[in-house]
Amino acid sequence: MSKPTLLFVDDEERILRSLTPLFRADYRVLSTTDAHQALNWLREEPVHVVISDQRMPVMLGAELLRQAREIAPAAMRILLTGYSDLEAAIAAVNDGEIYRYLNKPWNTQELKHTVNQAAQIGLHLADAYRHIAAPAVRRPVNVLVIEGDADSPLSLRHIIGEQCDTECTLHWADSLDQAMEMIMHKDIGVVVTDLRVNDQDAGAAVKALKRYRPHVVTVVVTRFQDNHTLIDLINQGQIYRFLPKPVSRGLLSRSMQAALQHHRLLRASPQLAARHTVEAPAETATKRLPTQLASFINRLRGLSHASG
Amino acid sequence: MAVATIASLAITVPPIAPHAIIEDVSEYFLAPENEQLLSLPVVEDGRPVGVVSRYQMMNVFLKRYGRELHGRKPVATLMSRTPLLIAAEQPLEDASRYVTGNMRFPITEDFIIVHDDRYVGVGVVLDLLKAMEQQLAGRSRQLAKAYSELKSSQSQLVQSEKMASLGQMVAGVAHEINTPLGYVHNNIELFVEHQRQQAAALDGYALLLRLIEAGDSSAEVLAQQLERVRQMHAELGDGAETEALLGDTLYGIGQIAELVTSLKNFSRVDRTTTDDVDINECLETTLKIAHNSLKHHVTVIRQYGDIPLVNGMPSKLNQVFLNLITNAAQAIEQQGRLLLRTYAENDYLHVVIEDSGKGIPAAVLPKIFDPFFTTKPVGQGTGLGLAISYRIIQEHGGDIRVASREGVGTRFVIRLPLPRSGAVTLAAAS
Repeated sequence: MSKPTLLFVDDEERILRSLTPLFRADYRVLSTTDAHQALNWLREEPVHVVISDQRMPVMLGAELLRQAREIAPAAMRILLTGYSDLEAAIAAVNDGEIYRYLNKPWNTQELKHTVNQAAQIGLHLADAYRHIAAPAVRRPVNVLVIEGDADSPLSLRHIIGEQCDTECTLHWADSLDQAMEMIMHKDIGVVVTDLRVNDQDAGAAVKALKRYRPHVVTVVVTRFQDNHTLIDLINQGQIYRFLPKPVSRGLLSRSMQAALQHHRLLRASPQLAARHTVEAPAETATKRLPTQLASFINRLRGLSHASG
Repeated sequence: MAVATIASLAITVPPIAPHAIIEDVSEYFLAPENEQLLSLPVVEDGRPVGVVSRYQMMNVFLKRYGRELHGRKPVATLMSRTPLLIAAEQPLEDASRYVTGNMRFPITEDFIIVHDDRYVGVGVVLDLLKAMEQQLAGRSRQLAKAYSELKSSQSQLVQSEKMASLGQMVAGVAHEINTPLGYVHNNIELFVEHQRQQAAALDGYALLLRLIEAGDSSAEVLAQQLERVRQMHAELGDGAETEALLGDTLYGIGQIAELVTSLKNFSRVDRTTTDDVDINECLETTLKIAHNSLKHHVTVIRQYGDIPLVNGMPSKLNQVFLNLITNAAQAIEQQGRLLLRTYAENDYLHVVIEDSGKGIPAAVLPKIFDPFFTTKPVGQGTGLGLAISYRIIQEHGGDIRVASREGVGTRFVIRLPLPRSGAVTLAAAS
């Protein structure tokens, strides 16, 4: 079997020169400072992983990865950036649908590990993508909205409820406990949640959910904005969309359509869920989990083992 | 604090009935407890129906036979039937306004305080004035306190604006450092690995040498070792790549060092006093700091003149330059240019900072130096940047002017006074 192909894009050629020797032994490495050249390669060559810088003169990394998604959907996408701005991270999720958000300066071992993992998935799925057709059967998808304060007419439950007709069936939970029960007993396909639900942090639950139920697609709608939190949600939770509150109906509606579609795709071709393999959360983070969440995670884990 | 009402001024004078005899009423006026009163209330069935004043009584008694003619008549014939009534729950301020608006002069009457139209007591105008004065004094104390609080919060704001721009700048520079740090670190790891391979190859050579020197090894053993060494050497490559990576590493470290120097020059926290400042150097330092916001879309044109040093506070002047340069970078939406020009003319050093950005609308232009004025979305600007810049330049004895045209660009001109003495050192132009 020929070596998988990596494509590095960075406006600093010294970065490219430095990265190439790391991967040359196991991969065919393409690298360029020119975003257009990168897109051309994606059109013409089989590429398994694209690793792009964010701040580049011609095109931002998130935009490059968005186009990469259209041109070569099978290629795994990673952002490698020295800038930690929130906007970039949001664009990387919503437009780039990235597999990982990595920081410069990078840890060589971690970078290698992540790229190897991505390359394996990319290689494994390259074939699968040739046989994927848009799922035709439109069974209504169970959507779970988790929201503390649901009384306002601007509540997500309300807005999504208006938009759900034949496409989805709406369920909602006022607390994380209730949400966990719902997830255990209903076949939930899309979860829309705030990061704070009645002063409880929903982040760990979101991460656990993706880990044990990879076909569940998560949309996070929140006022809470912190770059590191978001990066963790990408790497450890593979959230599908991140929408800052207050969110416009149009944006929410488009994101919901995309999430429903993506969930159907994952249902129709379960092997694609490998694209969303999550990074294990840091040890210390799991130790501090509240007991009820820990037990939820254990139940999820048990069920996923039983069904798998 | 609860609002003080007129009830607090009520003197509970026993009222007189409308049928009370005028002569008796005059006795009430003489009673010591009523000495302070100008008038007595006339109340029927708990409701005030009139007021009778000392003034009216005097009119009766001072007339010839007044007492004999009118003394036995009921007070109702003498009293004013339009007393000044004020509800007990009225705040002092409203009551005072009402009293001064309706009281006849000279003041001959007190006002009557009622609750639900029923008599409560009498109020004295002088008391009301005193109470008002107290209230005003309290207010002015509050105002003074609020003013001093405002002043301190203003200086906090100025500080926080400084911290915000400093924070932004530090974040920008820190990120700028991340890129060279990324490849420098990686290259050194690669080099360490390369070094290990090189050492192994050398060991292989050494072994080969020993085998040859010993002379007792079989041809097969020698051939094996030779092959091993050959392979290791081949894997090492020709060294050109390692050399290139080390070159990059040195370059990266140079970049990092330069950024750190700029940061240090820029802040000059160690120097709060004034110093001889090379403005061209300040601009260069600031450009490095702002590089991150300029590099992708702005072409910087430098037209530095041969200018003398000026006396000033470098860190504050840098703050002004950074503010104007980052504003310019933000005003340039696509590609554009930033012109930095310095020259000395008419006892002033001129610094021109001109961008080809979107310009400032004429309606907004007069306000840009006002504190808190900002066109940025809430949370993205304190609206203090230019106000502070303005003040800093003023503190330096200079001025700052702006001209702008929408769609063409904006030009700021800063003038700083040149030192008067003949002993002027010329700064080297960059």
